Amino acid sequence: MVLRDFSQKVKKQFADFLELPGDVMLDLPKITMFGDLKLYIENHRGILEYSTSEVRIGVRDGEVVVVGEGLLLRNVLPDEICVEGKIKTLSFSY
Amino acid sequence: MLLFKIMSCLQGYLVIQVMGDAPEKFVNMAASRGIYLWDVEQLSNGTVMIKVYLKNVNALRHIARRTRCRFRIRQRSGLPFYVAVLRRRKALALGAFLSLIILYFLTSFIWIIEIKGNEKLDSYDVLRAAEQAGLRRGAFKWNINPGAVEDGIVEQLPLLSWSGVYIKGTKATIEVAERILPEEEDHQPAHIVAKKTGVIKEVLVLNGRQAVKEGDTVSAGQVLISGEILPVEEEPPPGVDGEKPAENMEPVRYVHAMGFARARVWYEGYSEVSLVETGQRPTGKQKTCVSIKFKSKEIILSGNQNQNEPFETYETRTLVNKAPQWRNIDLPVELITVKYFELADYREERSRLVARRAAEAQAHALAAESMPDDAAIQERWVEEVETGDSDKLVRVRVVIETVEDIGEEAPFNGAPNT
Repeated sequence: MVLRDFSQKVKKQFADFLELPGDVMLDLPKITMFGDLKLYIENHRGILEYSTSEVRIGVRDGEVVVVGEGLLLRNVLPDEICVEGKIKTLSFSY
Repeated sequence: MLLFKIMSCLQGYLVIQVMGDAPEKFVNMAASRGIYLWDVEQLSNGTVMIKVYLKNVNALRHIARRTRCRFRIRQRSGLPFYVAVLRRRKALALGAFLSLIILYFLTSFIWIIEIKGNEKLDSYDVLRAAEQAGLRRGAFKWNINPGAVEDGIVEQLPLLSWSGVYIKGTKATIEVAERILPEEEDHQPAHIVAKKTGVIKEVLVLNGRQAVKEGDTVSAGQVLISGEILPVEEEPPPGVDGEKPAENMEPVRYVHAMGFARARVWYEGYSEVSLVETGQRPTGKQKTCVSIKFKSKEIILSGNQNQNEPFETYETRTLVNKAPQWRNIDLPVELITVKYFELADYREERSRLVARRAAEAQAHALAAESMPDDAAIQERWVEEVETGDSDKLVRVRVVIETVEDIGEEAPFNGAPNT
């Protein structure tokens, strides 16, 4: 775990130094939101839970939780998910 | 997004209902195997509706077994399903196909021919010429060569200088341009006579003999420029006897007189306006009564059903709409709209000045009524006619003096000079 944290730190510094986007180098999810209507999440690791009030999407060592009303998955692709509905909160949990 | 919808319609897609403990697993596995899912929506009873392409359904069965879910097809949409329906109903498919064929077949004929640009020439003649050249109603469109028809029309009708044939859909438009022929000169002997009474201001003779002088007063019908040219009377040479040899007499020549005779003409207008005016005029209130007349029966659709007179005093305007006559069929149905306008009495008092102005305008309009357009107004006199009852009425007389050409051709009988 220590080794992993260390390698992560080196990667981050390397990415900062070369000004590379984080989602490429660090394997981070890229989240795009259109107001509270639509949310694109790229680079995900699958759906963990889906209901109309809550969607949990796996990302690298953690998950993204979208809470809202009338949520539906507009698109499900291997590397991109689109959530539509009335989004209230977006949170990360590890 | 539109492109996506069109694609999904063409490929065909299904709405499936997924039941089970963990539909998320089903979705994840499908996505990781490259099966595209969209519009994943949870219903209130906990099951999930998913849309998926028709071609991926078989792969989903395996995934469902692996993730311990069941799914049921709820809705089928897209082209492949329509094709399947049509395969079962062959007559419907055949009918649709046949109707398309018939439609195409019928659009390959000329149904309407329109003719534009002819003024002197009758449309019927142009149509006949076009028919001779191959363009007629019911002709097969692909057999018509517009260029050949154009040439044919111009060849047959020498009055045309150009023709254009355009075929658009089932309508053919023939545009023609007529030749402008020079006007034939009239050699009939004629005088120029006065149209109206006036005082001659100037006479310009182009052909003929001047019959009046400047300053002459002429009355309507009087000859201004004569078409009779009298032989020149030679002055008898001095010393010789006044007797003129008869054989030297030239005969009288008759010509078509031409020229302008401008004269001063007066027009008079008289009008009177009372200082107190009473009458009736519309108040702006109106009622409409719509009825259908079938043969001799009249059915009232809207408006006053029972009372015939909607206002105390009124005037009516009636509008009759009739179905256009088609062939010989004349529909005996008319739509009659009657509009009732309420009238009210009014009494208006005017000052002398206003009344005089109104009377002047009326009198001027009256005087100008018979004036031709080319008349140049020289002078205008306004005169108030004094009468005993000047406290009630304003009487105004307007005289306008104009200068205009009063000449008019008048043919007469005489041996034409050739």
